[in-house]
Amino acid sequence: MTSLVLTVRETLRYRGAIGQWSWVLHRLTGVGVVLFLALHVIDTSWAVFYPDLYVKAIAAYQSPLFTLGEFGLVFAVVYHAFNGIRIVIFDYKPELWRHQAQAAVAVLVLTLLVLAPVFLGMLSHVVDFYVTEAAIAGDKMLDVVVFSILEQLPFIAGFVGVLAAAIVLAALYSLIRGDAPARGKYPQASPIERFWWGFMRLSGILIVPLVFGHLALMHVVQGVFDITAAQEVAGTMAVNGTIGAAPSAVEFVYHRWSYAAGGLFVWRVYDLFLLVLVTIHGFNGLRYVLTDYTSGSDFARRTAVALCTVMAAILLAVGGASLLVPLEKDIVDEAMAATAEIYELRGEELPAALEAYLTEDQ
Amino acid sequence: MDVTFRIRRRNPDVPGKEKPYWQEFLLADVDPTDRVLELLHRIKWEQDGSLSLRRSCAHGVCGSDAMRINGVNRLACKILIRDVGEKVQVEPILGLPVIKDLIVDMEPFFDHYKQVMPFFVNDDPLPEDGRERLQTQDDRQQFDDTTKCILCACCTTSCPSFWANGHYVGPAAIVGAHRFIFDTRDQAGKARLDILSEPNGVWRCRTIFNCTPACPRDIEVTKAIGEVKLAIRKGTNVGIIESSAIH
Repeated sequence: MTSLVLTVRETLRYRGAIGQWSWVLHRLTGVGVVLFLALHVIDTSWAVFYPDLYVKAIAAYQSPLFTLGEFGLVFAVVYHAFNGIRIVIFDYKPELWRHQAQAAVAVLVLTLLVLAPVFLGMLSHVVDFYVTEAAIAGDKMLDVVVFSILEQLPFIAGFVGVLAAAIVLAALYSLIRGDAPARGKYPQASPIERFWWGFMRLSGILIVPLVFGHLALMHVVQGVFDITAAQEVAGTMAVNGTIGAAPSAVEFVYHRWSYAAGGLFVWRVYDLFLLVLVTIHGFNGLRYVLTDYTSGSDFARRTAVALCTVMAAILLAVGGASLLVPLEKDIVDEAMAATAEIYELRGEELPAALEAYLTEDQ
Repeated sequence: MDVTFRIRRRNPDVPGKEKPYWQEFLLADVDPTDRVLELLHRIKWEQDGSLSLRRSCAHGVCGSDAMRINGVNRLACKILIRDVGEKVQVEPILGLPVIKDLIVDMEPFFDHYKQVMPFFVNDDPLPEDGRERLQTQDDRQQFDDTTKCILCACCTTSCPSFWANGHYVGPAAIVGAHRFIFDTRDQAGKARLDILSEPNGVWRCRTIFNCTPACPRDIEVTKAIGEVKLAIRKGTNVGIIESSAIH
């Protein structure tokens, strides 16, 4: 912890060149994205396992707090991607180092160039939602914000649980292995970090097109507001027909993951690749960050490693399961009931189509 | 011209001065071509004899007067007043324990350096004429840059990875290893690559590029680290550095 405080303070004080600030931004955006990833994978899995929770999570995502966060997220992903490519270039072509500062500027310019139209696209969804739908009455706004924060409480509880598990694991490991050996004069070569160094660069490059495609479809072409409003799912060419008259977030996911082209569930395969690569890349990156600042204590460092491992394992298991299980149509029914609750919370009348759906269901 | 010095000081032997604090000194009649080291001398000789700093040759060769000058690591003997302006802030280099004022304990730094076997290893019998082991100019060129290191620690103490983690072997030690890893006459390259492939070896480098501009000898430090990384990835020091024509 003192190491982190010292590094933050002195990074601000040391007059390093632009490379230093690229590194700071790379770390901040990386940690930001990986934290969002944990939230995102868990609650997307709810669409399959707990449809009513998923509907509420999406309602929370449509609140102003998360709208701001979404813009931050897209910036973080785009910057991290471009700067990652810069790092890969100078790692594999170290003789080009004289151009690294220009490259750092180019990364910033490119990020802004890409973000300008992207933010405009995202903004149009937001404006659409607030103007045409007039979704949330002013006096209900606070309720919705409070609601969306309360919705995240299970995550905080879950994180505390994972942290406790990591501490126990680190303690057990320390009991079995004892203190880490001091750096010997001629220690054995460790192929592990060599592997991770290569993996981070390869996976990073593979993730860029996958995540840009994902962002384009799910945040720009259709935003989080379309999940509960759109009649069609972008990227499915309406093969499965359109979503029912009263769209729900779960139905959106249902249509997306049911879409098959040539017998292949395109989006499930796509999302699976994305899940595996991003989770491992993200949590190994988090391990880099955390172990940098915990090297003073074996126990703290081991806890950090255990924390990243456990979190990655949970995300891979939960996210993988939600992508691999067969989808049942009755998750949509559960979602409809939950959607009705949201309308009540917002103090709005149920749309006729939803009311019809619910009465027909009973 | 007048120049104001703001110096980070600490004296563990004097009560009230154990904790680092700033002290200002005003110097008159300063030439723009005066070096920072000369002015530190003037402060010590004319104003406050207790000011402590390390210097030896005072001509940029021995590497003992590395300090953070106006926020960046520099050798005090190689930096002129006209390059830093009328307000000069001087503090010890970061990441090593401060002993007194601008003097830091260099032992951890040298410990890391010693770990990479910074010496020539070749167990073959000497050439028959008993003279030097020959190598081509191209082969010599591969490690020419990293022979210039004077172990001043400017690079290592400019590195945020080293600030965060004192176990990280650091840029200077990697430069020292590079000098022998890419020497075709040396036989311990594999052993050095093994040493540097451990978790606190080269992999803690995040390609931040603070070290390269910090080097008072203009060594291309980040490039050298990158070449060592690639050599570890490939498992060999052969074919990493493109043999460049001698100009």
